[in-house]
Amino acid sequence: MLYVELLAQGLVQGSIYALVAVGLTLVYGLLRILHVAHAGLFTLGGYIGVLVTNATGSLLLALVVSMLVVGLLGMAIYRLCYQPILDKPPYVALIASIGLFIAMEEIYRIAFGPYGISYENPPLQDVVHIFGITLRLGEVAVGIGTLVLIGALALFASKTRFGTVWRATVTDPEMAESFGVDIIKVRYLNFFIGSALAAVAGVMVALLNNLVEPTMGSVPSYKALAIIVLGGLGDVRGTLLAALALGVIEAYGTIYLGNYLDRDAIAFAFLILVLMVRPQGLFGRA
Amino acid sequence: MSMTKKMMAALAITGSLISAPTLADTVKIGMNVPLTGFAAADGKSALLGAELAVEQANAEGGINGTQIELVRYDDQASPKHSVPIANKLIGQDEVSVAISGSYSGATRAAAGIFQSEGVPYISAFAVHPDITKSGDYVFRTSFVGEVQGRAGAKLVGEMLGKKRVVVITLKNDFGKSLAAGFKSKAADFGIDIINEYEYSIKDRQFGPIVTKVKSDKPDAIYASGYFFTAGPLVAQLRSAGIDVPVIGQEGYDSEKFIDIAGPSSEGVLITTSLDRDATVAETKDFISAFEAKAGYKADMVAASGHTAAKVAIAAMRKAGTTDRQAIRDAIAATNMVASTGTISFNDLGEVKKDVQVQVVKDGAWHHYAVIDDKELLAPPVE
Repeated sequence: MLYVELLAQGLVQGSIYALVAVGLTLVYGLLRILHVAHAGLFTLGGYIGVLVTNATGSLLLALVVSMLVVGLLGMAIYRLCYQPILDKPPYVALIASIGLFIAMEEIYRIAFGPYGISYENPPLQDVVHIFGITLRLGEVAVGIGTLVLIGALALFASKTRFGTVWRATVTDPEMAESFGVDIIKVRYLNFFIGSALAAVAGVMVALLNNLVEPTMGSVPSYKALAIIVLGGLGDVRGTLLAALALGVIEAYGTIYLGNYLDRDAIAFAFLILVLMVRPQGLFGRA
Repeated sequence: MSMTKKMMAALAITGSLISAPTLADTVKIGMNVPLTGFAAADGKSALLGAELAVEQANAEGGINGTQIELVRYDDQASPKHSVPIANKLIGQDEVSVAISGSYSGATRAAAGIFQSEGVPYISAFAVHPDITKSGDYVFRTSFVGEVQGRAGAKLVGEMLGKKRVVVITLKNDFGKSLAAGFKSKAADFGIDIINEYEYSIKDRQFGPIVTKVKSDKPDAIYASGYFFTAGPLVAQLRSAGIDVPVIGQEGYDSEKFIDIAGPSSEGVLITTSLDRDATVAETKDFISAFEAKAGYKADMVAASGHTAAKVAIAAMRKAGTTDRQAIRDAIAATNMVASTGTISFNDLGEVKKDVQVQVVKDGAWHHYAVIDDKELLAPPVE
């Protein structure tokens, strides 16, 4: 039973990674930018989630507000930070992104204080028993929410007209443009969706830990990079699977290797092992 | 901003720059303290505590009539910053004495510089044993991790009578030294450590560890950490249905721990330096003065910052000079009542004082017991 419970914990953690990493891989797929500041949006998602929930008592409203605000801010970051430097080499955007991320952490510290904030009455803390496993409602919500959101994203990309346009733009931006696709619009949408997913992850993590701190994004900022590399840069399905796999490996690793390697070391050891065998990532095509 | 306002602001800034040298007849206390980065919350408390001590002393006439100035720089709890700060405090600001409101890494690196330049340096709450080993100019007003870990063993094994214990250790110098102290005395108090887990300071989600601890079925959990790791940890242990006592240390010692863990925090016990229900006037006065100044309740770090600054000030008063050697000797001979207890130092510069046990009751920290076993709490001498 312990193994099953660990598996469940790993999947919960993996779901959070997935929500953060999908946005990152979307941006990479479209613009070839490593969008480190994405993790700062994740943190902001958590802050808005807690603040709105505490003010209104509604977690659902908090989730919607958080997704909208963070989604719009993601678009603004594209417009103000990345668009002016798209013709520069990729490392310029990377440096800009890292700088923006550090600035965001300090802005949160100044705006919301260094101690972090918590839900006054944390929602979804009740315990449920499913097939003999004990989980908090919040953890169940994370797992189901991730599947629903990423499933919806997959449907949107494959079944709708705009989804087709989006995929076409990712595959060959110039060709798409010559067919009359407004690629700027696609980029905005791309940033909106990716950022809104990160906001959901922020609200969920706040729920599980009951703590949002200025530096909450520091671990996801680099771990999500590892995940999108594992998933084969730019591949949403690969990113989802890599994120879940990493969550599970960390869960077992924490217990059975924890005295030798810490959680992050386990993740990166896994990354190195995979890249030695499959340089294109677990699910990437060579 | 209008043009006139801009000019006025510029004038004000130049004015303050010009007026600074006229304050040259102040006595300076240096301080390295994390004001940004992950440790900024503790840094803020430590700084406010130290500022309070300086304000109180200045209101009483400073050092024999000379006002005290606290010169502080943000070290981000990083040795990479604390080393240049130490040099700046010594070379540029010419402080008479310095205190650290920072964590072990930063404090340990700076201690070597203060020692080699012969400037007395007091660590307010950093726990690494090597800090005071830097030499005879370095002191510490808080417990080393080992001492507090030993007190934890007594609390768990003897006072609570819990024998089957799981140890959850924060993987840094703080957690490791607490665990080492706890384990060194565990057998003496009949404790059987049935399992031990480690986590990193960045972890907030403990799902796998909680799951495993549940299957261990311990009588008590000795878990090291800071409020920002311990809050989520305790909440997650409780919501998994693990209701055995959780014993923490001074890293938990913040209102914020109770905010994060919520009702799960009830009954959590910690070993620390600050007694919320103190009857000693010094501690009572500190708790109310700090709350008035900071706008939030005092915690261990605040009291430690206050204590370290107070020890420095008392030593300067006693020395009656800014001569660093004389101040060092006065610190070494300290015997005073501070907000964290009655303080004196051993030959290594380690503090000798009682350990306070506090418990969360009705959503606030309260007195539980005092551990005053001198032999058990003897700080390291070398």
